[in-house]
Amino acid sequence: MTEPVLQTEGLTKYYGSVLAVDHLDLAIPRGCICGFVGRNGAGKTTAIKLMLGLLRPTAGSSRLLGCDSAALTPAIRQRIGYVTEGHRLFRWMSIAELEKFQRSFFAKQWDDKFFADMIEYFDLPKKRKIKHLSNGERAQVSLALALAPNPELLIMDDPTLGLDAAIRRQFLEGMIELIMREGRTVLFSSHILGDVERVSDRIVVIDKGVLRANCSLEEFRKAVKKVILSFADSTPAEVDIDGLLHCRRSEKELELILVSTADDHIAEWADKTGAEKYHIVKMNLEDQFIEFTAPANHKRMFRWEEI
Amino acid sequence: MRFLALLRKELRESLPWLLLAAIVLLAIGGFLLRQAQTYGWYDWSARDFSSSSITRTYGLYYRRSPLQLTGPVLLLTSIGLGLVLGVRHFWIPYFTRTWPFLIHRSVSRSTIFWAKLAAAAIGFTASVGLLWLVLYRYACRPGRFPTPPTLSVFTEGWLFVLLGLVVYLGAALTGLSTARWYTTKVFGLAFAGIVICIVIFQCRLAYAFAAIIIGAVILLSQIIDTFAKREF
Amino acid sequence: MALWIQILPGSGKPIYAQVAEQISEAIAKGELASGDKLPAVRKLAAELVINPNTVARAYSRLEQAGLVTTKTGSGTYVSDPKLRRSDAADINILTERMDTLITRGLNLGLESEDIIAMFKARIDKFVSKPKAGRGKND
Repeated sequence: MTEPVLQTEGLTKYYGSVLAVDHLDLAIPRGCICGFVGRNGAGKTTAIKLMLGLLRPTAGSSRLLGCDSAALTPAIRQRIGYVTEGHRLFRWMSIAELEKFQRSFFAKQWDDKFFADMIEYFDLPKKRKIKHLSNGERAQVSLALALAPNPELLIMDDPTLGLDAAIRRQFLEGMIELIMREGRTVLFSSHILGDVERVSDRIVVIDKGVLRANCSLEEFRKAVKKVILSFADSTPAEVDIDGLLHCRRSEKELELILVSTADDHIAEWADKTGAEKYHIVKMNLEDQFIEFTAPANHKRMFRWEEI
Repeated sequence: MRFLALLRKELRESLPWLLLAAIVLLAIGGFLLRQAQTYGWYDWSARDFSSSSITRTYGLYYRRSPLQLTGPVLLLTSIGLGLVLGVRHFWIPYFTRTWPFLIHRSVSRSTIFWAKLAAAAIGFTASVGLLWLVLYRYACRPGRFPTPPTLSVFTEGWLFVLLGLVVYLGAALTGLSTARWYTTKVFGLAFAGIVICIVIFQCRLAYAFAAIIIGAVILLSQIIDTFAKREF
Repeated sequence: MALWIQILPGSGKPIYAQVAEQISEAIAKGELASGDKLPAVRKLAAELVINPNTVARAYSRLEQAGLVTTKTGSGTYVSDPKLRRSDAADINILTERMDTLITRGLNLGLESEDIIAMFKARIDKFVSKPKAGRGKND
């Protein structure tokens, strides 16, 4: 295989004494849409800024398109699209002025017609100033600005945060549109797991600065499982099943969250501990994510007493 | 091409402040000149430059030319403009969170900085510099004053324009610094203040220029270093 | 044809399986006849706003099940029912599933005639000629 478009090695960032990103070892292959998920404050924005050379790592390194992030050359930056968190653009510029500004950094790479078509599709007047646009409209402009130069690698920092369903869908369509071109790669962070599930073929999960998963979406979907075991009198004192992440007990039931545990092994273990019956629960991506990133002694916030 | 795009952007962002500075200088300076014309508010007895400090030449103490009456206005406008532009170029992007968008341009970081500096230099020349010329031309018109200002009074006024640029650099350094106020963050502005004091109390024109150039070079090297390493 | 495929992210069922199931249902109901061409992977991906790899995976699922065949360079076509292989294992799985349904029906107190009638009614929905376009949804 060719070199990954994005690669980090032991990437670490401290803010003072606060550890934001902890020895991140990532490799994103060319040609995928990669959903970058993590809870608030997990270090997603910091990781993205480190990759783009906006922050300097405390330790470790990262490479984009084969170039060290700390010294990205103008030629490399030209091949990378970056949608900043909150779509912060120059407020005083009109859409047309911003288009002219952005275009001047891409020379022939810029697709005038594509940009014009998108702005027309969004029904935005080109003369309107950014400060007079709503959040959603500003996001649309930001998307058009990022896609028009046809970037080889598109990095978006939570692009759909706070946007309505229709505009979110436009971002997803934009990603699909880009990925269909030869050799394009997209990395986007998001809190909306449904969006990630819909368009991604790869998922990166980060929690408290630590990389927890970097695999195909399919592998992740298969790996995280919930199993409920019922026992005749009491649950076993020791739960020693492979891949155990969380274990919750009620009087006669055991609820286990397992990672990469084979179904055969679950059956064996249920047999060994004398469970009356067991049941592998189908989880959706959101449930998987919540369980996967929950702290070790996680309990439900609210509990209903059994009637 | 890319540099021009950046330059255009910086100039456009500075434009309101450049206009404001020009209007202030025109209004107050023009008013003082009119007053001088009407009431003879100046004294043209002492004329030698070498023996008195620059401040005197520029009318902080003595007034020997109608144009010098407006010297302090030029100095204050220039300092004010330097402060405002420095903050606009290097501090406001932090609050509007547009730094990441700007830094991720397909140019080197230093290009981004030089575009800002070029915009400031052009801006100073076009606003306070040009207005100073307008005031000079006004005072030189035949029949306005018994003794019109000499050309040297005009050219020496550029000392104050350059001081404004030094303040701009000081504000830039302070704006870029991520340290705390009570430590090194204040260095840029404090250093610019020291340069202003040195120039104001300087007797020799050459020394005054030297002080400005040395001060500017020190600030510039600090800024370039900070800007290259700064996190955004 | 893509318009009637419904994607439900967050349903627990993988998206490729949702696509494959809806296409196989359409084939079973005769809405897609043998020899019909399925939309190109990229076209369907763009229309459904899902990853092209997901569509490709759904198609390869359908191909494994013998419902479609891929002709290189030309596209994916619904295969001839006579050529679809149905080995003993497939039939076994089907029988097991029917057993589950029959058990459930008897537990609910239905007579065997009732269950047969229900099966018949459901099957009619599939084999009767579809009305304009897709016909009724359920």
